[in-house]
Amino acid sequence: MQSRVLAASYEMSDAEVSRAHGPRPRRRPQWGRLLLIAAALSFLGVFLALPLLAVFVQALAMGVGAYVAAIFDPMAWAAVKLTLRIAATAVPLNLVFGVAAAWAIAKFDFRGKSTLISLIDLPFAVSPVIAGLIFILIFGTHGWFGGTLRAHHIRVVFAVPGIVLATTFVTFPFIARELIPVMQAQGKDDEETALSLGASGWQTFWRVTLPNIRWGLLYGVLLCNARAMGEFGAVSVVSGHIRGLTNTMPLHVEILYNEYNYVGAFAVASLLALLALLTLAGKSLLEWRQPELRHSARQPPDRTRRERT
Amino acid sequence: MSILLRGIAKQFGEFAAVENINLDVPTGALIALLGPSGCGKTTLLRIIAGLETPDRGQVLFDGKDATSWPIRERRVGFVFQHYALFGHMTVFENVAFGLKVKPRRERPPAAKIRKKVRSLLELVQLDWAGDRYPAQLSGGQKQRVALARALAVDPDVLLLDEPFGALDSQVRHELRRWLRRLHDELHFTSVFVTHDQQEAIEVADTIVVLNRGQIEQCGIPGEIYDLPTSAFVHRFLGQVNELPVQMRQGRAHVGPLDISLNAAAASDGGNHIALIRPHEIEIGPEASGWPAAVLAVRVIGSIVRLDLHAEGQAANEPLEAEISRERYEAERFSVGQKVGLRFRRWQVYPADAARTAPTGATA
Repeated sequence: MQSRVLAASYEMSDAEVSRAHGPRPRRRPQWGRLLLIAAALSFLGVFLALPLLAVFVQALAMGVGAYVAAIFDPMAWAAVKLTLRIAATAVPLNLVFGVAAAWAIAKFDFRGKSTLISLIDLPFAVSPVIAGLIFILIFGTHGWFGGTLRAHHIRVVFAVPGIVLATTFVTFPFIARELIPVMQAQGKDDEETALSLGASGWQTFWRVTLPNIRWGLLYGVLLCNARAMGEFGAVSVVSGHIRGLTNTMPLHVEILYNEYNYVGAFAVASLLALLALLTLAGKSLLEWRQPELRHSARQPPDRTRRERT
Repeated sequence: MSILLRGIAKQFGEFAAVENINLDVPTGALIALLGPSGCGKTTLLRIIAGLETPDRGQVLFDGKDATSWPIRERRVGFVFQHYALFGHMTVFENVAFGLKVKPRRERPPAAKIRKKVRSLLELVQLDWAGDRYPAQLSGGQKQRVALARALAVDPDVLLLDEPFGALDSQVRHELRRWLRRLHDELHFTSVFVTHDQQEAIEVADTIVVLNRGQIEQCGIPGEIYDLPTSAFVHRFLGQVNELPVQMRQGRAHVGPLDISLNAAAASDGGNHIALIRPHEIEIGPEASGWPAAVLAVRVIGSIVRLDLHAEGQAANEPLEAEISRERYEAERFSVGQKVGLRFRRWQVYPADAARTAPTGATA
């Protein structure tokens, strides 16, 4: 019986064989594939695209005029400027701290290294509200340094410095966490080679280490920036919600929302979302403008190989 | 430049990587540090380079104490097993790196750098690859770039850490010969680390065999191979057959063969082993020696390897013998054939407890 089937199939032409056997095994995986794609797309739609769309729809619900007016409201505008200022301070601070911490952890062995790693993770583990309260406890009127600060007329809590401190604390792990695995994977060979070739530590960092980590670093900065602009909990505790002075965009959105000013709230929210989209677009642009950097430093472009004979 | 190591020791936590190493590397020598992984050879190389600081001891460069010199002042070229090429730079930029990072008053003008890099790339036969990125090159080509880059700063010493370890055997063989030629042309002092005894024998003037952080033996390749001073070195440089030595009527025996000639030490009582290399086993007619059966025959290019089951030995631990292809063609040993074994050479060592394999006792 079996041998007859075999013999018969030998006589079929190639086209017949493919017609007889070709489509059948492919059909089932195709259904599965479609199902998975549909599931993934609907997940993306419900959890990412829809909320983003909703923000803009709500913001423009009363027309463009109301939207523009809401954004150029002096209080809203002050919140936008404050948020940008905070991010512009916290991100560079964490850039320096993060690179330094990752460098130390990945390239050197020292006592207390695991403690340092845990400390870097602390802001992730602690609720942002607690992070805010810590700074009230330290710098508040009745806090440890409250008296000293008042004596020198320095305001930290319920002022911009407090917000910067809280934001820096909350966003501390982003850059370091992004860089540590990258730097660990790259090992020390490149740096040691550079040193043996006569480069100074500084030259080694700028010419060898930094180019090796640039994509991890950029990604870390983007995440850090997004969180710095969007941070609510910790900032809410230390800011004091003084309109026009210590109100960041997320806080302002909440205030407007609580006042039933939906157009205003969503207008500012849409601006916040727009800033996030802009950072992402900036990253894509950078990658697109410098195609040779698109690959990680370890795998530069794989152009076709032409061996000379 | 000559290198002197005096009483070098280095601990990593509880682990003593190297202990009390004394070594002279004369100017222009090409020395191999050979040993199994974990023997401390890489640590020693890194101490010479200045990448590790020894806990004790001195490193002398041309008689000057260089122990505390930072790596950038030692004028050493260091080549890693995995090349460590800068992936974001082209081959040209990689080689030019050492020249471009020089302080402004020492830095050669751009045209001079270009000329030098080009001549170095020619030297490593990669003049066509200047504007490629490392990822576009094969392993052997990458390692040649790494060498050119190390040579660009005119080092007095070239240190290579398992330079060919990541390459396939054909390329490895080519690069070894090429390194040897390069060394003979340029006359720098080189130290390279390897766990491959064949590589050490092929390339080096002097081989330093390391074991557990200490120097086991140091000498020219032929001497180390023929006259190992310890069972460890004997085992490490090439294949060996290990057989227990028995004392009978005051004479040392391996199986039925009398090996007293070379086994005076064995008469002191303790357990001893005889080490015999595969090519030191003489195969003759059954009556001529230790009776054995041929278990397997493998023709490997110019040599033929035979697995032999000697009478009284465990069958799962056959002796390995090597004969020339010509000899094999003439005698045509076949599986199952009875032969007689004799040893042309052997070496007897006290059996260290850790390595004594209780092979079947002779009846």
